[in-house]
Amino acid sequence: MIRYQGGSLEAFQEIYAQLAPGVRRYLSHLALGSEIADDLLQETFLQMHRSRAAYNPTYAVRPWVFGLARNVFLMNRRAARRWAAVHESREDLPEFPVLPEADRLGSQDEIRRCIAHLSPDQAEALLLHHEWGFSFEEIAGMLGISAAAARARASRGMADLRVALNNLQRAGA
Amino acid sequence: MDCSPKLPEALMRAIAQDLGPVRPSPQPLHLALRMVPLALLVSSVILLAIGVRRDSGILGPLLTWGASAAQFVLAIALVWIAAHEGTPAARLPRQMVYAAAVAASLVVVFVTLLTFSESPGNEGLRVSPLHILDSHIPARISPWIMGFVCGIGSTLAGVILVLMFSWVFRNSLATRPTVAGTLYGAGAGLAINAGWRIACPISTPWHALGAHGAAIIATVVLGAMIGRSLGNRRLHVGARRC
Repeated sequence: MIRYQGGSLEAFQEIYAQLAPGVRRYLSHLALGSEIADDLLQETFLQMHRSRAAYNPTYAVRPWVFGLARNVFLMNRRAARRWAAVHESREDLPEFPVLPEADRLGSQDEIRRCIAHLSPDQAEALLLHHEWGFSFEEIAGMLGISAAAARARASRGMADLRVALNNLQRAGA
Repeated sequence: MDCSPKLPEALMRAIAQDLGPVRPSPQPLHLALRMVPLALLVSSVILLAIGVRRDSGILGPLLTWGASAAQFVLAIALVWIAAHEGTPAARLPRQMVYAAAVAASLVVVFVTLLTFSESPGNEGLRVSPLHILDSHIPARISPWIMGFVCGIGSTLAGVILVLMFSWVFRNSLATRPTVAGTLYGAGAGLAINAGWRIACPISTPWHALGAHGAAIIATVVLGAMIGRSLGNRRLHVGARRC
């Protein structure tokens, strides 16, 4: 990032190569699988470029970019009325990443369906911690909550996910 | 299956067109500390112009200087919180932000009421607080005119400080620029109020909260507007999608 701030295009390409897949999946999760995730990904990196002076090297790059992506998503959601339609179509389940911890609890499809029915706050904290590996302090900084609240959301999310998976499997049996 | 997104050509072009080196923004605390001399300078201009209020002996140093110092510290804390809000990975818990905003309002009201209870007289109405203009203005000034003078004067000082803050913040608002602008606007208003309340001789709550309070509201609104415009300039989503 420091090289990028110094004006290196190669550094930007490296950052994009490293972070874009994760940021895209995060945006896809936020946008509930909508195709707009690709647009938001480009927007995020464009905003990162415009805001690169705001980055301080003492911060980790990943949470900084993920936080920026979240802000881009929220601004876009506020700006565009079409999001109402997107949120109504929650049945079109996005390609949520499947948590390694939950992998043994059910099939990928079951986990995906259960995550889609968690509260958005819980699902976001759960995925940020278990899927993308952010610490609770980093999640707190990205979401504007305390680290304890981030931990509680992820923990409750995981508990609810377990319950939902059990219910789903029992219903299936 | 390779699902990693390819770097779009249009995005690359947009980046390459504007890839000058930039200076990294300081950390929120350093950013807030940079504002201290600016805030001190602008908020103390009124003291240099008309001096300390005449009832400062009645109020005592704690209520004259101590209360203003507390307000000033709170103002810098608001700027620090604003700097955090503008940083994607360093946001503070929402409760803390709300608590700081509420605390700032309560401190202003509390200090106003305490000052009024200690020194309720309106001595200041009999003589002009603007000593430098003493020979040009009548001995007794209408409370409305005094309110107008204080309101306009502290708003002008607040506007100058908000503009200075905005200049320092111009490259540091990566996220939530409107919230950050509102907060540093409130910080500017509070800092100005900290200086003006030591100079202004009128203790009545309607004057202190009405005239001086209006200036704080004006700086909050101006900060929000400037923050929003700084954000729109850089963060306008969808404006130039690749």
